[in-house]
Amino acid sequence: MRALIIDDSAVMRKVIERALRQAGLELSEVLQASNGEEALQTLRENQGSGALSLILSDINMPVMDGLQFLEARKQENLAQGVPVVMITTEGNETFVLRAIAAGAQGYICKPFTAEQVKARVLPLLRAA
Amino acid sequence: MVNQHDEAVTRLDSAVAEVFETMLERSCDPLEGEVDTIEGRIVARIQFTGAVAGECLLYASQATASVTAEALLGTPSEPHDPMVDDAIGELCNMIAGGWKSKLAAPDSDCSISTPAVTRDGLDGYQAKFITKFSRNYSFQGNVFGVVLAF
Repeated sequence: MRALIIDDSAVMRKVIERALRQAGLELSEVLQASNGEEALQTLRENQGSGALSLILSDINMPVMDGLQFLEARKQENLAQGVPVVMITTEGNETFVLRAIAAGAQGYICKPFTAEQVKARVLPLLRAA
Repeated sequence: MVNQHDEAVTRLDSAVAEVFETMLERSCDPLEGEVDTIEGRIVARIQFTGAVAGECLLYASQATASVTAEALLGTPSEPHDPMVDDAIGELCNMIAGGWKSKLAAPDSDCSISTPAVTRDGLDGYQAKFITKFSRNYSFQGNVFGVVLAF
């Protein structure tokens, strides 16, 4: 399976990838972006090059944040049907509701364990 | 009676412990009393805006920053590896976010910035803020400091 991880921290992108592998996901490719705009470009470039199974995105990022990314993705009709899980320090209800309204299917607060990632991600992949 | 300072420090201790136990699988304890010197040239900064206005600073030595990066990544890091600064920024981000998440309404209605990391020490920070909480922590003998300023 292919996943896209969006976070302005390269350290956090590696930590998230490791958590996905610890969750038992067999990742053939992990695409990375450091903000929402890079993520949109990655989605545009990868249209038709093999199905993307999962998107994990931070919220607080420079250039284009995670909520703006969700809105732009919807407007451009990119990777619709691919589950999006937000992984962020912004845990208050306002952000969670805004993310869900914008198309996120899951929400994980930092700090997180690999078990928490597994518990949020696997049901979404089974349902997709 | 628990005062504002004690509440802020308790929340900070809890946020730091949670981040270390969850993401680094290590315990991290506050250091009571004064600590003579923390060679804290690497400084990560998160700003709070909204109902709470202020900043969270985390400062650490190169050695502590390198150990932190290694613990997060699970791989060794070079002294001037950009991942070291990145790791300290992310650590500050998670601690500030954890502290914020423990606030009750209406204070919880605030946002945090992305982290900014410099290697210029603490000089020049916090000047415009009136209230300051400072706390030092140690994990496996590695010491770092956290300042909350409002």
